[in-house]
Amino acid sequence: MNKRPRIGLYTLVALSVVISFLPIVWLILTSLKNTAGIYAWPPQYWPDPFTFDNYVKIVTESPELLLYVLNSFIVALGCTLLTLTIGGLAGYALSRIKMRWGAVLMVFILAVSMFPPVSLLPSLFQNFLKLGLLNTYSGLIIAHAGLFLPFTVWMLASYFRTLPPEIEEAARMDGMGLMRIFLTIVIPLSWPGFVATGLIVFIFSWNEFPLALVLMTQNAMRTAPVGISLYPGEYAFPWETISTATVIAIIPILVITAIFQKQIVGGLTAGAGK
Amino acid sequence: MTVVQLDRIGKSYGGFKAVEEFDLTIHDGEFLVLLGPSGCGKSTTLRMIAGLESISTGLLSIGGAPMNDVEPKDRGVAMVFQNYALYPHKSVYDNMAMALKLQKMPKAEIQKRVGDTAEMLGLTDYLARKPAALSGGQRQRVAIGRAIVRTPKVFLFDEPLSNLDAKLRVKMRMELQELHDRLGVTSVYVTHDQIEAMTLADRIVIMNGGVVAQVGSPREVYDTPADEFVAGFIGSPSMNFIDLRRNGDDGWTSVEGHLALPPLSFDTGQRADLRLGVRPEHIEILDPGADDGIGMTFDAKVLLAELLGADALLNLDVDGIRLLARVSGTEHPVAGDRLRIRFHEAQLHAFDCESGRALERGVPTLVS
Repeated sequence: MNKRPRIGLYTLVALSVVISFLPIVWLILTSLKNTAGIYAWPPQYWPDPFTFDNYVKIVTESPELLLYVLNSFIVALGCTLLTLTIGGLAGYALSRIKMRWGAVLMVFILAVSMFPPVSLLPSLFQNFLKLGLLNTYSGLIIAHAGLFLPFTVWMLASYFRTLPPEIEEAARMDGMGLMRIFLTIVIPLSWPGFVATGLIVFIFSWNEFPLALVLMTQNAMRTAPVGISLYPGEYAFPWETISTATVIAIIPILVITAIFQKQIVGGLTAGAGK
Repeated sequence: MTVVQLDRIGKSYGGFKAVEEFDLTIHDGEFLVLLGPSGCGKSTTLRMIAGLESISTGLLSIGGAPMNDVEPKDRGVAMVFQNYALYPHKSVYDNMAMALKLQKMPKAEIQKRVGDTAEMLGLTDYLARKPAALSGGQRQRVAIGRAIVRTPKVFLFDEPLSNLDAKLRVKMRMELQELHDRLGVTSVYVTHDQIEAMTLADRIVIMNGGVVAQVGSPREVYDTPADEFVAGFIGSPSMNFIDLRRNGDDGWTSVEGHLALPPLSFDTGQRADLRLGVRPEHIEILDPGADDGIGMTFDAKVLLAELLGADALLNLDVDGIRLLARVSGTEHPVAGDRLRIRFHEAQLHAFDCESGRALERGVPTLVS
């Protein structure tokens, strides 16, 4: 039949997999080389000698890496929970309550997110300084939440719109209030939407650099991307340390994605309607 | 005693009138059907009774108490939705028990009520299942059960059978009828299917474009439709309409073709034209030689014959007019046959050409 378009499709998929995974593969390979191997010319493709020395060294000599990862985890988790709570409520209100300016409000929310976050930094820094939010988890969590809320509102609002409104109407007839409907009906039915959105926000927050760099100035409060990038090198850039630390910082994200991936696919609304 | 009273009830969105104000009293234990094409305002009316839609004008009372500003759960009504609207993440038991749990009813009482209702509907074996593991008919039965356990004063049905296949629909229709006979609860039922309306209803409210066209028993709306819309909507296949113009002898001639009719026993007043209606099942095919000259008889030619099984539909050319006739399916005429047909005056309907209102039967007014 039509084999040709499928071959094209597979080629494209293979190409995108190679393009997106090559840097990560290179990163992992680099973390397994010794310094000579990293600077060797022509470049070494396979580590020779193949060594875990970098991992041993980083765990024993730079305990602050684990602190950076922990900081990132706290900030990303806090940001995800805060964003999903506010974004879920806002998205539900915007998708279900008839408002005169509802559509305009949605566009306005999106427009806000079009400002480059860096342009907000000076005023954000000054205000956080006054409020005592610099070098606090809540400070960076609030800043990140502000950054990712428009996206969350849009994602969740459009997910809520796909739910048949009759289920919520039936709940109203059964005697539930709006908040109870949201908590016991809408959230369980939108679980895949919450997981997918939450995962993306978590990764965004984990990787976010400029705000984390400026708002967390104490070494003990740094997040993984900032902390790793500031690893000191006396005479040369410590590639082996940076790549090893980065691999370690990626692991939590990979684990979380693996856990929740199955949930995203779940078709929970099956059987609700037709 | 639960009487539902609609007093000048109407709904408008901005300047658009979705439902024109009307009065209606739904009697205790009555099965009332709101019938009409999509967008006619029937669902909006039902949702106003349910409390899911605000009432723009007028007063709604259920069992004598005004209900305009009462929350849906406190109106004593239960609703069955077209797409079942079950909670997909909860078991059949929890779906049916939800309203009772929210009323803080004792657990033993809930179990008994849900158990009894499940047994009545044949759902006992499925109580632990999720809706996704049920067939369409079973799901709709759960939705009906969810309404029954609340022992509401009024049942509201919003096209509950539309999502079922044809065979199941007929079965569920009969089950609904038996259920209503057993429970005797005042019911309001919305549908666009005139067969459902005719079979289930004590009274039918036919709506068109937000306006109530007629309220009456199935017999009344079939026999004496109030206007052309009702006449065309009730009955399948729908009524034949023929535009007529008064001729010199106070008889009538068709605007198209050259069908000639004698003076008709309708209160036509001074009208120069009217629209005649005759149902396909009311066109009599005369046996050869049986034409005794009584009544209005015409020559007809069969253009097309469609066998439906028990019946056949004949597409006839009668003096240049196309008419549809419904005849018995056994040895029915075939395309090309020439026939003699008869209209019975008592089975004819006449409508005003402009307003579409039905003309009363009466003495024909002669103008010449």
